[in-house]
Amino acid sequence: MKINARFVNPFIQAGINVVQQIANIDVRRGHLSYKDQPEPSYGVCIIVGVYGFLKGQVVYSMKTEVAKRLVGKMLDGKSPEERKLLFLDTLGELANMITGNATALLSENKEHTLQITTPAIATGENLNIMLVPKPTLILGLYTQYGPIEISVALEEDEVLNEIDETERMLNEI
Amino acid sequence: MGKRILIVDDANFIRTMVKDVLIPRGFEIAGEATNGNEAIKKYEELKPDLVTMDITMKEKDGLEAAKEILTRYPEARIVMVTALGQEKMLLDSFKIGVKDFVVKPFKPERIISAVEKALA
Repeated sequence: MKINARFVNPFIQAGINVVQQIANIDVRRGHLSYKDQPEPSYGVCIIVGVYGFLKGQVVYSMKTEVAKRLVGKMLDGKSPEERKLLFLDTLGELANMITGNATALLSENKEHTLQITTPAIATGENLNIMLVPKPTLILGLYTQYGPIEISVALEEDEVLNEIDETERMLNEI
Repeated sequence: MGKRILIVDDANFIRTMVKDVLIPRGFEIAGEATNGNEAIKKYEELKPDLVTMDITMKEKDGLEAAKEILTRYPEARIVMVTALGQEKMLLDSFKIGVKDFVVKPFKPERIISAVEKALA
């Protein structure tokens, strides 16, 4: 199975744009690496499924302190009680917005759409999460609070891509 | 009395943000829903002037819910508010009669302009 480097830029671009806009902080592109599966490196983990002409999972992870400070910025002006109440929901929405914005970039010039699942969130040290083993690109985003890791484990849906190709050929006849 | 808005999104964070933008501008929040089925039910109960509708939700997604509401109530005014800013989804939304399509994250003025235009 191969992984496709064209998945990198949509997630980097969407990650930087979304975090900058929603938390009003600077974000820089970080390291790029590879793993056999999208296991999270830190104690806060948000999983979003992707399906359509691509399929797989995107896993976001960060340290608890990074998550708290990020959510604090996103909920600027809210009371401590509201921040506590909205903490997990806000993290989930952050992952939803980055994944959603990335799918718009991945879908350019495509006949089919990409759907995403509602985010699943897990927190705690030494997380033991069952993830589908798939070749995974690891993208880093650096913020002033610490890194956000984005693990992209996506592969092409060959059937849908063949349909796209056939439609393109028919349109050209 | 301000125009009555039904806010549909599974994320409390987004419902809160939309309320924070609309309430100071004189809009009234008629109700909130967290999935497509609840949105349809609440639309029928509350008959709001406008609905802001997310797409990715459990049980029934926002595009399906918007389609069902607009089939039963063609006069309904719906603005999609979604992270899925894909061109085909935007076109599909306009095809079924949705008034506007706002991509998350949004600036407050984008929501205001979409809601005001849809209600004009």
